[in-house]
Amino acid sequence: MNHCIVLFFQFCKFSVLCFGGGYMLIPLLTAEFVDREQVLTMSEFGNLLSVAQVTPGPVGLNTATYVGYVNAGFFGSLAASLGLVVPTILIGCSAAAGINRWKDTFLVKGMLKGTRLAAVALIMFAVTIFLGMSVFTRTIPWEALGALFKFELPVIPDDFRVSPAGVLICGVTIVLMLKTKLPTTALLLGSAAAGALLAAWF
Amino acid sequence: MEGMEIQTLSRTRRLLLLYCSFFRITALVVGGGLAMLPVIEEIFVVKHKLLTREELLDMTALTQTVPGIIAINSAVYIGMKIGGVPGALAAAAGAVTPPFTVILIIASLFPRLDPKNRYLLGVFSGIRACVTGMILVTGCRMFRRTVKSGLECAVVLVFFVLAVMKVSPALLILAAIPFGWCYVWWQTRRLSQAEQAADGGKKTEASSEPSAETSVDPDKDGGRGK
Repeated sequence: MNHCIVLFFQFCKFSVLCFGGGYMLIPLLTAEFVDREQVLTMSEFGNLLSVAQVTPGPVGLNTATYVGYVNAGFFGSLAASLGLVVPTILIGCSAAAGINRWKDTFLVKGMLKGTRLAAVALIMFAVTIFLGMSVFTRTIPWEALGALFKFELPVIPDDFRVSPAGVLICGVTIVLMLKTKLPTTALLLGSAAAGALLAAWF
Repeated sequence: MEGMEIQTLSRTRRLLLLYCSFFRITALVVGGGLAMLPVIEEIFVVKHKLLTREELLDMTALTQTVPGIIAINSAVYIGMKIGGVPGALAAAAGAVTPPFTVILIIASLFPRLDPKNRYLLGVFSGIRACVTGMILVTGCRMFRRTVKSGLECAVVLVFFVLAVMKVSPALLILAAIPFGWCYVWWQTRRLSQAEQAADGGKKTEASSEPSAETSVDPDKDGGRGK
């Protein structure tokens, strides 16, 4: 039960910090549950997000429910969903009704500008996490990157591999998203099928 | 006209409508919060006339500015507009119920799947690659919408590097707020200075024709110099 209360407040925190849509949850969740508490591995998180993405419903809510379930079963997912909803309702009741009136004030403008810039950076960071799980079949070699920052020659580990299927599906998705108006459902189902086919091939 | 229609729906009917509508929306719409928008418009603007199109547009802007998941934000704000706080609660409950149930069922079935089945693994890696592309495109669109100058681009880069170096994302967002204040303050000050400079320039240009002030200025300076 204690665990669920902790989960509830963790998700309250995520909800308040989640500027810029559901994908912003990815860096927040991985930092908390993969890096810090180590309840999940990165690969498990990837599977979980894939399920959340193909399931109907908002990605953020699906992911939160799932992470809650992994943490503490039924009550965990209840705590996680409630944690996302309660702050929104509180903010909605108190401040946000007036935000249209205040949106040109210095405080609101500055907050939005800053958090949006951070949100863009964090979503790009989420992209690198996902690149490491799909396009580069192994994780991105952080050690090598660290070495780069210290101006040493980067040592690329032997297990640094690029997955051809990942590159193909990811590239096709990007092109289709930019050039056509295909619904995301079609993209997801198509790439699931393509993934299975390519797995049979290679 | 629309006001009258709101009056005709009884309070409980309105709450029920909110719950069922958002239940339907999150149960059927795959994808992020913004994919829900056309469905919301169809139900609340076209069919039941509880919102005007302008109100919905305002709401969309609002749901993307306040923190939180866009889907829940829209449920809460539309619910609040139509039925006050109980409306917000009803709409939020409606939005949460379907994903909650579906994910619970899937999550309890998931461990029974064979983790070594290569087709299953293929399906997952396919979806992951697809999600990678989707997040990348979303991120690039956000980048183009928000980043307006080279300096802002540099700021994004700094935040990105900090995130890669495992600085907690929560901390980064919190740090971004005071930074945003400083930035906007600096920007407005620079803007007003530029305006003043422009105004001054116009004045001197305008006054250069009668050449009253401009002829005085060098004289003054010369006098001081001596």
